[in-house]
Amino acid sequence: MGTLALTLIVLVVHPLHTTLTQLAYRDADRTVEVSVRVFADDFRAVVGHEVTDETAFTYLRLTVTLNDRAGRSLAITWCGQRRTGDVLWLCLRAPAPDGLSGLRVHVRVLLELYSDQINIVQATYSGRRASLLFSRGDPPRPLP
Amino acid sequence: MSDLATFVTLGFRHITNIAAMDHILFLLALAAIYRPRDWRDSLWVVSAFTVGHSVTLGLAVTGALVLPSQLIEFLIPVTIVATCGENLVVRDRPRALWGGRYRPAFAGVFGLVHGAGFANYLRSLFVDQVALPLFGFNLGIELGQVVVLGVAAGALVLLDHLLTLTAAGRTVGALRLRTVAVSAVVGLVAAHWAVERSPW
Repeated sequence: MGTLALTLIVLVVHPLHTTLTQLAYRDADRTVEVSVRVFADDFRAVVGHEVTDETAFTYLRLTVTLNDRAGRSLAITWCGQRRTGDVLWLCLRAPAPDGLSGLRVHVRVLLELYSDQINIVQATYSGRRASLLFSRGDPPRPLP
Repeated sequence: MSDLATFVTLGFRHITNIAAMDHILFLLALAAIYRPRDWRDSLWVVSAFTVGHSVTLGLAVTGALVLPSQLIEFLIPVTIVATCGENLVVRDRPRALWGGRYRPAFAGVFGLVHGAGFANYLRSLFVDQVALPLFGFNLGIELGQVVVLGVAAGALVLLDHLLTLTAAGRTVGALRLRTVAVSAVVGLVAAHWAVERSPW
Protein backbone atom coordinates (compact mmCIF):
# COMPACT_ATOMS: atom_id res chain seq x y z
CA MET A 1 0.00 0.00 0.00
CA GLY A 2 2.89 2.36 0.85
CA THR A 3 4.57 1.75 -2.50
CA LEU A 4 1.31 2.40 -4.32
CA ALA A 5 0.83 5.68 -2.48
CA LEU A 6 4.38 6.76 -3.29
CA THR A 7 3.94 5.91 -6.97
CA LEU A 8 0.74 7.94 -7.13
CA ILE A 9 2.37 10.91 -5.41
CA VAL A 10 5.23 10.96 -7.93
CA LEU A 11 2.75 11.21 -10.82
CA VAL A 12 1.85 14.90 -10.96
CA VAL A 13 -1.57 16.33 -11.67
CA HIS A 14 -1.14 16.86 -15.37
CA PRO A 15 -2.35 19.35 -17.93
CA LEU A 16 -3.35 18.64 -21.49
CA HIS A 17 -0.18 17.95 -23.51
CA THR A 18 -1.06 18.72 -27.08
CA THR A 19 0.00 20.82 -30.06
CA LEU A 20 -1.93 21.85 -33.15
CA THR A 21 -0.30 21.86 -36.60
CA GLN A 22 -2.30 23.25 -39.50
CA LEU A 23 -1.34 22.57 -43.11
CA ALA A 24 -2.86 24.91 -45.69
CA TYR A 25 -2.28 24.46 -49.41
CA ARG A 26 -1.80 27.65 -51.41
CA ASP A 27 -2.91 27.11 -54.99
CA ALA A 28 -1.35 30.38 -56.17
CA ASP A 29 2.25 29.31 -55.63
CA ARG A 30 1.67 25.54 -55.03
CA THR A 31 3.18 25.60 -51.59
CA VAL A 32 2.05 24.34 -48.23
CA GLU A 33 2.08 26.63 -45.23
CA VAL A 34 2.56 24.86 -41.92
CA SER A 35 1.50 26.59 -38.73
CA VAL A 36 2.54 24.90 -35.48
CA ARG A 37 0.84 26.05 -32.25
CA VAL A 38 2.67 25.03 -29.13
CA PHE A 39 2.63 26.16 -25.50
CA ALA A 40 5.61 28.46 -25.05
CA ASP A 41 6.84 26.93 -21.77
CA ASP A 42 6.84 23.42 -23.30
CA PHE A 43 8.69 24.65 -26.37
CA ARG A 44 11.29 26.43 -24.26
CA ALA A 45 11.93 23.15 -22.46
CA VAL A 46 12.95 21.43 -25.70
CA VAL A 47 14.82 24.17 -27.56
CA GLY A 48 16.65 25.73 -24.61
CA HIS A 49 15.88 28.81 -22.60
CA GLU A 50 15.63 31.22 -25.54
CA VAL A 51 13.30 30.60 -28.46
CA THR A 52 14.89 32.40 -31.42
CA ASP A 53 13.99 31.91 -35.08
CA GLU A 54 17.13 29.84 -35.45
CA THR A 55 16.60 27.52 -32.46
CA ALA A 56 12.91 27.07 -33.30
CA PHE A 57 13.61 26.25 -36.95
CA THR A 58 16.45 23.86 -36.07
CA TYR A 59 14.11 21.95 -33.75
CA LEU A 60 11.16 21.94 -36.15
CA ARG A 61 13.29 20.73 -39.07
CA LEU A 62 13.98 17.61 -37.02
CA THR A 63 10.46 17.07 -35.74
CA VAL A 64 8.17 18.12 -38.60
CA THR A 65 8.73 16.16 -41.80
CA LEU A 66 6.77 16.15 -45.04
CA ASN A 67 7.47 13.60 -47.79
CA ASP A 68 5.83 13.43 -51.19
CA ARG A 69 4.34 10.24 -52.69
CA ALA A 70 7.76 9.23 -54.04
CA GLY A 71 9.24 9.50 -50.55
CA ARG A 72 11.18 12.70 -51.27
CA SER A 73 11.48 15.08 -48.37
CA LEU A 74 9.98 18.52 -49.00
CA ALA A 75 12.40 21.41 -48.46
CA ILE A 76 11.00 23.27 -45.48
CA THR A 77 11.79 26.96 -44.93
CA TRP A 78 11.10 29.22 -41.97
CA CYS A 79 8.48 31.94 -42.22
CA GLY A 80 8.44 33.40 -38.71
CA GLN A 81 6.90 33.16 -35.27
CA ARG A 82 4.53 35.11 -33.05
CA ARG A 83 3.20 34.70 -29.56
CA THR A 84 -0.42 34.95 -28.39
CA GLY A 85 -0.77 34.56 -24.63
CA ASP A 86 0.82 31.26 -23.64
CA VAL A 87 0.96 29.93 -27.18
CA LEU A 88 3.69 30.25 -29.83
CA TRP A 89 2.62 30.20 -33.47
CA LEU A 90 5.51 28.91 -35.59
CA CYS A 91 5.39 29.17 -39.37
CA LEU A 92 7.02 26.87 -41.95
CA ARG A 93 6.61 26.72 -45.71
CA ALA A 94 7.46 24.09 -48.33
CA PRO A 95 6.94 23.65 -52.07
CA ALA A 96 4.26 21.04 -52.82
CA PRO A 97 3.87 20.91 -56.60
CA ASP A 98 1.82 17.68 -56.44
CA GLY A 99 -0.64 19.02 -53.85
CA LEU A 100 -1.24 17.58 -50.39
CA SER A 101 -3.13 14.40 -51.22
CA GLY A 102 -0.79 11.47 -50.50
CA LEU A 103 1.70 13.68 -48.65
CA ARG A 104 3.28 11.74 -45.78
CA VAL A 105 3.24 13.81 -42.62
CA HIS A 106 5.11 13.25 -39.36
CA VAL A 107 4.88 15.69 -36.44
CA ARG A 108 7.03 14.64 -33.47
CA VAL A 109 7.07 17.98 -31.67
CA LEU A 110 7.49 17.54 -27.86
CA LEU A 111 7.11 13.75 -28.04
CA GLU A 112 10.46 13.41 -26.29
CA LEU A 113 9.23 15.64 -23.46
CA TYR A 114 5.91 14.05 -22.45
CA SER A 115 4.88 10.41 -22.70
CA ASP A 116 1.23 11.45 -23.15
CA GLN A 117 1.91 14.15 -25.75
CA ILE A 118 -0.56 14.11 -28.66
CA ASN A 119 0.04 16.24 -31.76
CA ILE A 120 -2.98 17.14 -33.85
CA VAL A 121 -2.55 17.86 -37.56
CA GLN A 122 -5.32 19.50 -39.58
CA ALA A 123 -4.87 19.85 -43.32
CA THR A 124 -6.99 21.96 -45.68
CA TYR A 125 -6.59 21.34 -49.40
CA SER A 126 -8.64 20.94 -52.58
CA GLY A 127 -11.83 21.92 -50.75
CA ARG A 128 -11.42 19.16 -48.17
CA ARG A 129 -10.19 18.85 -44.62
CA ALA A 130 -8.38 15.95 -42.95
CA SER A 131 -6.96 15.36 -39.49
CA LEU A 132 -4.17 13.17 -38.17
CA LEU A 133 -2.98 12.44 -34.63
CA PHE A 134 0.58 11.64 -33.61
CA SER A 135 1.80 10.27 -30.31
CA ARG A 136 5.04 8.60 -29.24
CA GLY A 137 6.05 5.71 -31.55
CA ASP A 138 3.63 6.59 -34.36
CA PRO A 139 5.01 6.34 -37.92
CA PRO A 140 4.51 9.00 -40.65
CA ARG A 141 0.97 9.02 -42.06
CA PRO A 142 -0.32 9.98 -45.52
CA LEU A 143 -3.02 12.57 -46.08
CA PRO A 144 -6.01 11.01 -47.91
CA MET B 1 -9.93 11.01 -39.66
CA SER B 2 -12.62 13.71 -39.29
CA ASP B 3 -12.09 16.72 -37.01
CA LEU B 4 -14.76 15.42 -34.62
CA ALA B 5 -13.15 11.97 -34.38
CA THR B 6 -9.79 13.67 -33.75
CA PHE B 7 -11.05 15.58 -30.74
CA VAL B 8 -13.08 12.65 -29.37
CA THR B 9 -9.88 10.58 -29.56
CA LEU B 10 -7.91 13.36 -27.88
CA GLY B 11 -10.37 13.50 -24.95
CA PHE B 12 -10.59 9.74 -24.62
CA ARG B 13 -6.82 9.24 -24.68
CA HIS B 14 -6.32 12.10 -22.27
CA ILE B 15 -8.64 10.71 -19.62
CA THR B 16 -7.62 7.09 -19.92
CA ASN B 17 -3.90 7.89 -19.80
CA ILE B 18 -2.31 6.85 -16.52
CA ALA B 19 -0.77 10.33 -16.30
CA ALA B 20 -4.30 11.79 -15.89
CA MET B 21 -4.24 10.76 -12.27
CA ASP B 22 -6.25 13.67 -10.90
CA HIS B 23 -9.37 12.82 -12.89
CA ILE B 24 -9.00 9.06 -12.48
CA LEU B 25 -8.49 9.35 -8.72
CA PHE B 26 -11.55 11.56 -8.37
CA LEU B 27 -13.66 8.96 -10.17
CA LEU B 28 -12.16 6.25 -7.97
CA ALA B 29 -13.01 8.26 -4.84
CA LEU B 30 -16.59 8.74 -6.06
CA ALA B 31 -16.94 5.02 -6.84
CA ALA B 32 -15.29 3.80 -3.63
CA ILE B 33 -18.53 3.52 -1.60
CA TYR B 34 -20.64 1.67 -4.15
CA ARG B 35 -21.31 -2.01 -4.73
CA PRO B 36 -22.51 -3.41 -8.08
CA ARG B 37 -26.11 -3.37 -6.80
CA ASP B 38 -25.80 0.39 -6.10
CA TRP B 39 -25.35 1.10 -9.81
CA ARG B 40 -28.30 3.52 -9.92
CA ASP B 41 -26.80 5.70 -7.17
CA SER B 42 -23.39 5.68 -8.80
CA LEU B 43 -24.93 6.57 -12.17
CA TRP B 44 -26.63 9.63 -10.62
CA VAL B 45 -23.38 10.76 -9.07
CA VAL B 46 -21.29 10.30 -12.22
CA SER B 47 -23.97 11.96 -14.37
CA ALA B 48 -24.01 14.96 -12.03
CA PHE B 49 -20.22 15.17 -12.21
CA THR B 50 -20.42 15.03 -16.02
CA VAL B 51 -23.03 17.81 -16.17
CA GLY B 52 -20.97 20.04 -13.88
CA HIS B 53 -17.82 19.26 -15.82
CA SER B 54 -19.46 20.07 -19.17
CA VAL B 55 -21.03 23.32 -17.94
CA THR B 56 -17.77 24.92 -16.81
CA LEU B 57 -15.76 23.53 -19.68
CA GLY B 58 -18.26 25.13 -22.07
CA LEU B 59 -18.45 28.44 -20.22
CA ALA B 60 -14.71 28.75 -19.74
CA VAL B 61 -13.66 27.68 -23.22
CA THR B 62 -16.06 30.11 -24.89
CA GLY B 63 -14.73 32.90 -22.67
CA ALA B 64 -18.06 33.41 -20.84
CA LEU B 65 -16.27 32.59 -17.59
CA VAL B 66 -12.66 33.43 -16.87
CA LEU B 67 -11.10 31.44 -14.05
CA PRO B 68 -7.60 31.80 -12.59
CA SER B 69 -5.85 28.58 -13.61
CA GLN B 70 -3.61 28.48 -10.52
CA LEU B 71 -6.65 28.45 -8.25
CA ILE B 72 -8.37 25.76 -10.34
CA GLU B 73 -5.25 23.57 -10.33
CA PHE B 74 -5.30 23.83 -6.52
CA LEU B 75 -9.04 23.22 -6.16
CA ILE B 76 -9.02 20.00 -8.22
CA PRO B 77 -7.07 17.97 -5.62
CA VAL B 78 -9.09 19.70 -2.87
CA THR B 79 -12.28 18.21 -4.36
CA ILE B 80 -10.65 14.77 -4.27
CA VAL B 81 -9.66 15.22 -0.60
CA ALA B 82 -13.20 16.36 0.25
CA THR B 83 -14.74 13.34 -1.50
CA CYS B 84 -12.40 10.97 0.35
CA GLY B 85 -13.16 12.77 3.64
CA GLU B 86 -16.88 12.34 3.07
CA ASN B 87 -16.34 8.64 2.29
CA LEU B 88 -14.49 8.21 5.59
CA VAL B 89 -16.76 10.30 7.82
CA VAL B 90 -20.18 9.08 6.68
CA ARG B 91 -20.54 5.49 7.86
CA ASP B 92 -24.31 5.12 7.86
CA ARG B 93 -25.58 6.71 4.63
CA PRO B 94 -29.34 6.09 5.08
CA ARG B 95 -29.13 8.08 8.34
CA ALA B 96 -26.92 10.85 6.89
CA LEU B 97 -28.20 14.23 5.73
CA TRP B 98 -31.05 13.80 3.16
CA GLY B 99 -30.60 10.03 3.46
CA GLY B 100 -27.17 10.44 1.84
CA ARG B 101 -28.81 11.71 -1.37
CA TYR B 102 -26.72 14.90 -1.43
CA ARG B 103 -23.89 13.13 -3.24
CA PRO B 104 -25.04 13.98 -6.80
CA ALA B 105 -25.13 17.70 -5.85
CA PHE B 106 -21.71 17.34 -4.26
CA ALA B 107 -20.36 15.63 -7.42
CA GLY B 108 -21.99 18.24 -9.66
CA VAL B 109 -20.30 21.12 -7.83
CA PHE B 110 -16.95 19.34 -7.95
CA GLY B 111 -17.51 18.65 -11.64
CA LEU B 112 -17.69 22.42 -12.15
CA VAL B 113 -14.14 22.71 -10.79
CA HIS B 114 -12.73 19.84 -12.86
CA GLY B 115 -14.22 21.16 -16.12
CA ALA B 116 -12.41 24.44 -15.64
CA GLY B 117 -9.11 22.57 -15.46
CA PHE B 118 -9.10 21.76 -19.19
CA ALA B 119 -10.64 24.98 -20.36
CA ASN B 120 -7.55 27.18 -20.37
CA TYR B 121 -5.63 24.71 -22.53
CA LEU B 122 -8.38 24.30 -25.09
CA ARG B 123 -9.09 28.02 -25.29
CA SER B 124 -5.42 28.92 -25.78
CA LEU B 125 -4.74 26.37 -28.48
CA PHE B 126 -7.99 26.35 -30.46
CA VAL B 127 -8.67 30.07 -30.29
CA ASP B 128 -10.19 30.30 -33.78
CA GLN B 129 -12.36 27.12 -33.80
CA VAL B 130 -13.37 26.34 -30.26
CA ALA B 131 -16.87 24.78 -30.64
CA LEU B 132 -15.92 21.50 -32.34
CA PRO B 133 -12.81 20.83 -30.19
CA LEU B 134 -14.90 21.54 -27.09
CA PHE B 135 -17.71 19.18 -28.08
CA GLY B 136 -15.42 16.41 -29.33
CA PHE B 137 -12.99 16.63 -26.42
CA ASN B 138 -15.83 16.55 -23.88
CA LEU B 139 -17.48 13.58 -25.61
CA GLY B 140 -14.14 11.74 -25.55
CA ILE B 141 -13.71 12.57 -21.86
CA GLU B 142 -17.16 11.16 -21.06
CA LEU B 143 -16.52 7.95 -23.01
CA GLY B 144 -13.18 7.61 -21.25
CA GLN B 145 -14.87 8.06 -17.88
CA VAL B 146 -17.20 5.14 -18.63
CA VAL B 147 -14.15 2.96 -19.33
CA VAL B 148 -12.32 4.16 -16.19
CA LEU B 149 -15.38 3.54 -14.04
CA GLY B 150 -15.89 0.07 -15.54
CA VAL B 151 -12.30 -0.86 -14.71
CA ALA B 152 -12.63 0.72 -11.23
CA ALA B 153 -15.85 -1.24 -10.54
CA GLY B 154 -14.15 -4.49 -11.53
CA ALA B 155 -11.10 -3.71 -9.36
CA LEU B 156 -13.30 -2.81 -6.36
CA VAL B 157 -15.29 -6.07 -6.64
CA LEU B 158 -12.01 -7.99 -6.76
CA LEU B 159 -10.73 -6.06 -3.73
CA ASP B 160 -13.94 -6.92 -1.84
CA HIS B 161 -13.40 -10.62 -2.52
CA LEU B 162 -9.83 -10.39 -1.24
CA LEU B 163 -10.88 -8.44 1.86
CA THR B 164 -13.54 -11.00 2.81
CA LEU B 165 -10.67 -13.46 3.19
CA THR B 166 -9.10 -11.32 5.90
CA ALA B 167 -10.11 -11.19 9.55
CA ALA B 168 -10.61 -7.41 9.40
CA GLY B 169 -12.80 -7.81 6.32
CA ARG B 170 -15.03 -10.29 8.14
CA THR B 171 -15.25 -8.11 11.26
CA VAL B 172 -15.67 -4.62 9.81
CA GLY B 173 -17.18 -5.65 6.49
CA ALA B 174 -15.41 -5.70 3.12
CA LEU B 175 -17.27 -2.64 1.80
CA ARG B 176 -16.32 -0.43 4.76
CA LEU B 177 -12.75 -1.68 4.77
CA ARG B 178 -12.36 -1.06 1.04
CA THR B 179 -13.93 2.41 1.35
CA VAL B 180 -11.48 3.33 4.10
CA ALA B 181 -8.45 1.89 2.28
CA VAL B 182 -9.18 3.48 -1.10
CA SER B 183 -10.23 6.83 0.39
CA ALA B 184 -7.19 7.02 2.68
CA VAL B 185 -4.68 6.35 -0.13
CA VAL B 186 -6.39 8.57 -2.70
CA GLY B 187 -6.99 11.31 -0.12
CA LEU B 188 -3.32 11.37 0.89
CA VAL B 189 -2.13 11.61 -2.69
CA ALA B 190 -4.58 14.42 -3.45
CA ALA B 191 -3.62 16.26 -0.24
CA HIS B 192 0.01 16.14 -1.36
CA TRP B 193 -0.99 17.67 -4.73
CA ALA B 194 -3.08 20.35 -3.01
CA VAL B 195 -0.13 21.41 -0.83
CA GLU B 196 2.19 21.43 -3.87
CA ARG B 197 -0.22 23.56 -5.88
CA SER B 198 -1.33 25.92 -3.15
CA PRO B 199 -1.33 29.50 -4.48
CA TRP B 200 -0.56 30.82 -0.99
